[in-house]
Amino acid sequence: MEFYTQALSKVLTVWPIVAMIGATLLGVFIGALPGLNPVMAIALLLPLTYSMDPLVALAMVSGIYNGSMYGGAIPAILLRIPGTPASIATTFDGFPMADKGEAAKALKIACWSSAVGGIASAIALMTVGPLLARVTLFFGPAEYFWIAIFGMASVGVMVGSDPAKGVMAAVLGLLIGTIGIDNLSGQARYTFDQTWLLGGLDLIVVLVGLYALPPVLQLAEKCDLKGLSAAQLKLTNVPFKPGERRKLIPTWLRSSGIGISVGILPGAGGNIAAFLSYNAAKNASDDPESFGKGNPQGVAAAECGNNADNAASMIPALSLGIPGNVVAALVLSALTIHGLQPGPQLFHQNPVLVGGFMMEMLITSLLIFLLGGAVATRVFAQFQRLPGVLLVPSILILMCVGVYVINGRPVDLWVMLLAGIAGYFLEKLNVPLAPIILGMILGPMAEQSVRRALLISRGDATELLTRPLSAALAIATLLIITWPIVKAMRNKRAGAEI
Amino acid sequence: MERRQDIVLGLIFMGLGAAAAWMATSYTGASGIYPMVLSIILALLGATVVLKAVRAGTTSERKLVDGPAQMLVTIVLGIVYVALIVPLGFYPASFLLMLALPIALGYRRGLYALIVAAVFMGIIYLVFSLLLEKPLPRGALPSLVGLGG
Repeated sequence: MEFYTQALSKVLTVWPIVAMIGATLLGVFIGALPGLNPVMAIALLLPLTYSMDPLVALAMVSGIYNGSMYGGAIPAILLRIPGTPASIATTFDGFPMADKGEAAKALKIACWSSAVGGIASAIALMTVGPLLARVTLFFGPAEYFWIAIFGMASVGVMVGSDPAKGVMAAVLGLLIGTIGIDNLSGQARYTFDQTWLLGGLDLIVVLVGLYALPPVLQLAEKCDLKGLSAAQLKLTNVPFKPGERRKLIPTWLRSSGIGISVGILPGAGGNIAAFLSYNAAKNASDDPESFGKGNPQGVAAAECGNNADNAASMIPALSLGIPGNVVAALVLSALTIHGLQPGPQLFHQNPVLVGGFMMEMLITSLLIFLLGGAVATRVFAQFQRLPGVLLVPSILILMCVGVYVINGRPVDLWVMLLAGIAGYFLEKLNVPLAPIILGMILGPMAEQSVRRALLISRGDATELLTRPLSAALAIATLLIITWPIVKAMRNKRAGAEI
Repeated sequence: MERRQDIVLGLIFMGLGAAAAWMATSYTGASGIYPMVLSIILALLGATVVLKAVRAGTTSERKLVDGPAQMLVTIVLGIVYVALIVPLGFYPASFLLMLALPIALGYRRGLYALIVAAVFMGIIYLVFSLLLEKPLPRGALPSLVGLGG
């Protein structure tokens, strides 16, 4: 507890505060523009933060992450275009509300719900994270190997529609992770005699390509030459009626719980949290028929759920060093860039930094209340008037600057383009991209732990399975992988009986 | 459509796995086993995707590219842009892209595009060159264009 007060004193200084306010505003803006997503924004931002204080860098990450989850609701409500995948569920009731002339109220509910979800999630992170970190002190290399494999297996299986393709993407990521000099033996692998490949492929370079280029190409395909007219963006301010907010409290509590649980699980993201929260609110309602026709509870559930996912997704990342989604993976790489080793040691060696980051997740959620109000929302809605075709080159340029400043090597720009074109087609073929990134991050860790475990046991592979903890993790991994197969078989049998 | 796409996808991953496995045979000791195992799994998963697609009876419509012309234009101009960054310098190349790409995509309000390009490049210059002092490619003719930063 003591380190939280210490961390707070570090966070409440000029630069972290400026960074949090600026990044939350930027996050709302990015979320509000369909085609821009938080992963892309954080990936572009990270190289710029290399020379900054880690707390300032993390302040920017948390601001963009939390702000964008709310920002996605703006076009979702006004135009039925989700700004981010996590705001799809917001369109269900948000757009019908706007249709009835209640757009401003829907936005206000979205703003409040996002803030509440984010705050609940940050509190969960601050309480569960340190506890989990204490448990992981008992972990050896065998357990780390299984945790890495478990994280990847669950991401591979849960993301996307076809588990085989998800796992395939994860294995591809693991294989990309082996490129470069092997740390344990000095053997150069898959370098094709190119010196620039000796250090392996830079994660951020591949990530910017994979995550930023496909949406840019889709934006170009849509070929939006006009942008929106001013009439479509008219908003009038409506205050809450007495008792209206109190009616939302049960929904907020339920959705926060769902969002936090989904966040802790690796693989499931904000969109799943929002869908589950929405369905739960509908089931719990006395009037489920009104959902989808502009029920404020639906907006509250979806927006609260997707923000409650955010900070909670950092729990496994900070305490185990296992990122459950790509933003968590980016936070981990930001920490490593600053010379910090994610995992249980992090809490003991750098309590102020970890505590500070958690505080920043909390403060940026609070900032949504202040910055996401009617005025800011009205300003951000205006950016929808920019024609999509002008955004296409702008994002391409930002991608190139972001990638170039990492190493100052033009070759990285080609790697980014190639990764992006591959990512575009993979996504179209239902191959999820997140497992590739997680594989690249977890691959080196998985390989080193398994080889270290085998060195300790003098080559006895049973060591990987006989320790109680590692055995339990191995079984959990097996269950995760076989679950979709069992489900498919059961569906087939059910189909045959009919 | 979908079936044929998945068969090709699976075959590509099978080939990728096989090539990676073959390369891994030349790596010494333990540093070769791990990529070897991964490559074999990758090839097997590719085979699974092919098998699943072959066995799937129905095939649904799934377009690989929604707007082939726009997509191709963007990729080609993107490649040209990246190729020009070093010889031309970052700022001139980017400015050209800001104008050329919207026009190639059918945008006709030249003045509006010019204003957006100027404002956007101004912000980039302010943030990256003045505030963060990041070195960007200056190009061979920065003095002629006067934007080399």
